[in-house]
Amino acid sequence: MTRLVLLGATGMMLAGVAGCATPPPASDPDAVADFNQTNDPLEPTNRVFYAVNNGIDAVLLKPVALAYTWVVPPVVRTGVHNALTNLNSPVLLANDMMQGKPRRAGDTLMRFVINSTVGVAGVFDVATGWGYPYHPSNFGETMALWGVPEGPYLFLPILGPGNPRDSSGYGVDVALDPLSWVRGAAITDANYGRYGLTLVDVRASLFDSLDKATAEALDPYATVRSLYRQHREAEIAAAKADNRATTPDWYPSKPAQ
Amino acid sequence: MDMLTRRTLLTASFAAAAVLGLGLLPRMAAAQTPQQATAFVDQAGKDLIAVVNGAGATADKQAKLKQIVDKVVDVDEVGRFCLGRFWRTATPPQQQQYLDLFHQVLLKNIAGKLGDFQGVTFTIGRATPRDGGTVGVATVVTRPNVAPANVEWVVSASSGSPRIVDVIAEGTSLRLTQRSDYASFLSHNGDSVTALMDAMRKQLAQPG
Repeated sequence: MTRLVLLGATGMMLAGVAGCATPPPASDPDAVADFNQTNDPLEPTNRVFYAVNNGIDAVLLKPVALAYTWVVPPVVRTGVHNALTNLNSPVLLANDMMQGKPRRAGDTLMRFVINSTVGVAGVFDVATGWGYPYHPSNFGETMALWGVPEGPYLFLPILGPGNPRDSSGYGVDVALDPLSWVRGAAITDANYGRYGLTLVDVRASLFDSLDKATAEALDPYATVRSLYRQHREAEIAAAKADNRATTPDWYPSKPAQ
Repeated sequence: MDMLTRRTLLTASFAAAAVLGLGLLPRMAAAQTPQQATAFVDQAGKDLIAVVNGAGATADKQAKLKQIVDKVVDVDEVGRFCLGRFWRTATPPQQQQYLDLFHQVLLKNIAGKLGDFQGVTFTIGRATPRDGGTVGVATVVTRPNVAPANVEWVVSASSGSPRIVDVIAEGTSLRLTQRSDYASFLSHNGDSVTALMDAMRKQLAQPG
């Protein structure tokens, strides 16, 4: 995983020294407004990495994910997805707490306890039915709630779409993962296996949505950029808006204001 | 309080209510209530599902699907939105041609997804007023072997009857995504609406 992070960092540095998009002339205010809204000053470099990633995807990731969906029945795939999600719970919990969202942290903790036991090591997602639904959480989101701006759009090899905030947040999430603290050949191999499987699981989940959206697009790069941004903003908005009370319903509380 | 003042008060409040009511009534007719939007989305969804999950040849189903889409989606409004600032610079014949093409591309894309939506069901959630007098109706769309998706339908009554103007799937707006796709294509093709229309024609010529 450190190798991935390194690759990401190299990508960012490369992006820094390589080509920048030429802003439109100030005489065309509409075009300037468009340029600023797109917030993609590194577009030429990003497009190169987008093409590189598509190449890697076409020869490696996509065939593997396709084989996975053909060979493994949906029930098993759901189980694998649930187990991987459950293993990520400590990272989620840490972020929920750093975001100052006690109810979200409570949801994550209850999910981890219920699914690890009743859900047989996380294979079955029992907690959702019991009133503890899943929510995404990561350090990029945490920084967003702390007021860190996203910065310009970045497209990195392997990691895909992002920005300085979210892409560096990914590195922090890896460091926050207790499973990455454990040393030993066996656990390291198991961790690589887990990261690999996560990659395949995520890729397989995108056949339905992302592959179709890019197939219908005139400029798939711009479509991915727009989808990523909107999705991210929606996740952050959902985390921000989740201010559920921490006292139970029966607890005598102040009258509603 | 004596009888007279009470009656005066009563009359006054009646008058106030009447004035308010009269003032409000025409506005209620032009705008839409969340209940109306919810009922509209519920009906439109049921109509669509009846076609998708119903029996019949694919071609028949696609024809029926097109009829429903024409009725429930404000395609012209969505098309104008997707062209963004280039709508104003396009000539009237270009605008007409573009809307025509947009209509066909949209229908082709929807018809192509027919198979993916076999066995689809949905539940209606909350309706919330949004910008420009539109109402967003939240739904949860469930398909076999796929995680349930939160989909919000944005309904506008500006054309006289309720029509869908945007679909927001898991936080991503379909028309916003389409607009950024077109905007990027245009900026890389000399801001030429003609080039965009040629690309759309190519899309239509592709099988599928």
